[in-house]
Order: sequence, then structure tokens, then C-alpha cells
Amino acid sequence: MKSAALLLICALVVFPARAPLAQEGHPLTGTWSGDWGVGAAKRTHITMVMAWDGTSITGTINPGPDAIAVPAIALDVTTWTIRFEADTKDGRIAAEGRIDDIAAAHRTIAGTWRQGTTKGDFKLTRD
Amino acid sequence: MPYVGATFRWPGTLIVAILIAVATLHGQRPASATYDGERQIRLEGSITRIDWVNPRAFLFIDVRDASGTVANWAIDIGNPIELERQQWRRSAVRLGDVVVVQAMPARGPARQALARSVMLGASRKQLFTSPTVRAAARHAPTPRWPDGQVRLGPPPGQKGYWRPAGAKALVESSAASVRMNDDGLLANLSDADRVAPFQPWSKAVYLHRQRTLLKDDPIAHCMPPGGPRQFMSPNGFQFVEQRELGRILVLLGGGNRNWRVIYADGRAQGQAAEAVLTFYGTSVGRWEKDTLVVDSIGYNERFWFSNGGLPHTEALHLTERFSRPDVDTLKYEVTVDDPRTYTRPWKGGWDVAWVAGEDIEEYFCEENAEATFVR
Repeated sequence: MKSAALLLICALVVFPARAPLAQEGHPLTGTWSGDWGVGAAKRTHITMVMAWDGTSITGTINPGPDAIAVPAIALDVTTWTIRFEADTKDGRIAAEGRIDDIAAAHRTIAGTWRQGTTKGDFKLTRD
Repeated sequence: MPYVGATFRWPGTLIVAILIAVATLHGQRPASATYDGERQIRLEGSITRIDWVNPRAFLFIDVRDASGTVANWAIDIGNPIELERQQWRRSAVRLGDVVVVQAMPARGPARQALARSVMLGASRKQLFTSPTVRAAARHAPTPRWPDGQVRLGPPPGQKGYWRPAGAKALVESSAASVRMNDDGLLANLSDADRVAPFQPWSKAVYLHRQRTLLKDDPIAHCMPPGGPRQFMSPNGFQFVEQRELGRILVLLGGGNRNWRVIYADGRAQGQAAEAVLTFYGTSVGRWEKDTLVVDSIGYNERFWFSNGGLPHTEALHLTERFSRPDVDTLKYEVTVDDPRTYTRPWKGGWDVAWVAGEDIEEYFCEENAEATFVR
């Protein structure tokens, strides 16, 4: 027990807690990760990359062989809400959410999605 | 009779021992984020501790309120090196001395305040002299190298450095006047459109930073002040021209005493897409007669490039023009081109004054140094 406590103290000394470094540019730019699903029991991990090119925001869900392109993401800067649609192999999904604190290093977007008659929620945190 | 917590308005002519130059003394963290400039308090009490340390010096005083309860207050009196430069000395006060402090209190419940003035309570003796008034510009000729090129550093055989920018924040030069405090907080948020030609998202971010009193300023975490903000850093800056190496170093007195390299060896600027993103970017300079023109790209997005919270993206491209019309004056103009953040390129700038005969003193940013005193 003592050695575990000593190890913890050493770790805190060697790796002191630091304030996370925020990305100060466009609030959506970057890689976000989290999950989505229907209810608390059925969640699926998701990674979403968003980019701002000066005129539009685009995204990619789960970059890789099964990537889903998000051709346009609408951002309302008065409420910091986003809306997007994307075509998946199972049909079109539509989602909308809100950024909670644009200044936070690990800011989050929480919202809802719909695919046909199925509805669920999602939460993303910026890496 | 000692008392605390009285809020009052400053009289037009305040007879006090000292007036502390809050803006220049308050270093890394915007004063507006820590202290409430709308309120002023008077504190009287005896000194229990003196912390004469970089980057902030503090006096701790026991203050008795109207009910007789004694509380210990931390009085922020500024950067000790700047204080010593203005003839403050640690020996000017001793433990047990009773002082009267006029100050702006910290936001929230912390018993901490930023001093405007300090004087000995009983004798009303002046503890410190007023801030040194800088000598008027001498308008001596611009120093030059033997080949006639303008020198950005001191004349041969002398020393000196450049003071921080003579502006509170970068503002588009076409704006006649935008009222703001020393941290770049606008007096009127409706002036935002006159600061820069924002895109909707960047205006919203800028206003968010303004409304939250710059509390998320990366400088509070000792992040380097990239872009024009490097010239706003407290304690000034210096140019070291290494002509034999084809480069100019910009040494910063504040922050973490960072330096920036301007390559002046004739190389071309690289491709933006290939740039390694950094706080100071990749800078290439060339002389156009007596003006040094510096082209910079490759900035990361982890800093604010001006006081006041101007946003930018990795697309930021700066063109800076430095000229020295006389030995005491540096004219700085910057063109900001970031099409992802602003609707068009825009210009701003300021003059910088020379400090002759002195070197930059040590000043290190310490993350959340003030938090030590929050109680």
C-alpha cells in the first residue's frame, strides 16, 4: 500500500497536472470523439473530424475504410449550435447539437440524431 | 481607524504616495481577468509578509473590518524588477509597518487586490516615488551599420532595448479611435466591427472572449505570445542582428523569454501547406531601403495574436514592416491576412519607444502564480 502511494506521489511529481492547451482557432476545427446511440445501454464509439476552409465546414465520421463524409455542417454562431446530414450505408442521418463552451480545451458537443424513425443522442469531446 | 471594503470613486486629484503603473506592471495574465477594475477599495493594515519575487511582488497585510474581525489580504504591487526600476526597494517597508492601500479587488471572494497606491499609514510618508517619466525622444539620427543599413539594435558601444507596444491592442488602422482598457477590453462591445473585419464566427469568438473578460487568455498559462502580441509583452524586446548568419533574432523580455528567428539570408518563404506550425511562425525578412519587411506563415492556433483576444487560424499570414526614423522610435505596421478568420486583409500598427542604456531584465511567466494567494 505504501509503495503504491509512493508511486502515485512520484508520478505526480514527474507528471504534474497541467492545464490543457486549447485550440484557439475556429471552434469546430479538429478531431472529436465520443459516442452515439439509442439510450444509455447501446452506445457506439464515434470519431468525427471537422475542418473550416474559410467558407464551409466539412467533416468525416470515423476516418478510414468505413468513413462517412459530411459534406456540410451548419453552424449558428449566435447559439453555437450545429446541424449536419450524412449518407450512411443504412440510410441518411440528420443530427444537431450544441457546443457547450467554445473556450474549453476539451469542449463538447451534445445533441440528437435521427435516422428514419430511429432517434438517439450523441456526445462528442474535442481531443 | 482601519477599515476594509469601502467602495468609492477615485477623486480627480488623488494625493497619494505612489501611483502604480498597473498596465505595465501587470504582466502575463490580463488584469481584467483577475481584478475588478470597476471597483476600488481602501485597505489599511500592518504588513505580515513581504514576497519580493518574480514575476509578482506581494505585500500581505492584516486588515481589521468594522466588526473587529482581522483578515489577511494579499496586495499585488507588480513586477519587482519594474518596481526597482522606478526606485521601489524591498527595504522601503518592514514587517509590522501599517500601510494604506488603494486598490482594485480581485473578482470573487479572494482577499487579494491590485494596488494603485501604497503609503505608510501613520506618517503618510511616501514609500515610493512616482513612476519614472521617460525622457522625451531625442530624435537623434537612426543608427546604421557601416554599409548604411539601419540598425534595429543599439548604436555601436551602447545598450538598450525596445519598450512594449505603444498601443493597447491591434486595431485596424482605419478605425479612428476605439476605446479600450489596457488589456484590450472594449469600452463598448459595439465597436468590435471597427477592430477588424471579422467573419461571423470570429466576431462571435472575439465577443465571447471580451464578455468573459479575457479569462481564457492562453498567456495566463504562459503560452508564448505569437504574432504582433510578442511586441506587447511586458519588459519589451530586443533585436539581435546576426548579419554574418543572415538572420535577425527577436528576444522577448516577457513571457518565457522566448526568441523568434527572422531569416534574412535571401531565402524564399516556404509553402504554407508544408510549414511546421509554431507560435512564432516561419519568418523571412528583406530590406526595402530603410524598412525591414518580414513575411510570416506557419502559425499554430494556440495563442491570441493581440491583446483583446483576436482569433486566427493556421491560415494566418502576416506581413510586418519595421522602420526606425530616429534612434528612439520604431514604427511597426502589420498586415493581417487570414481569409478563414477575416473578410479581407487589414492593417494595424503602433510606435515603439527605445530604452537607452539598459538591458532587458529577467522576467519569467509562472503559470497561475497569483493562484497561490487566493484564499
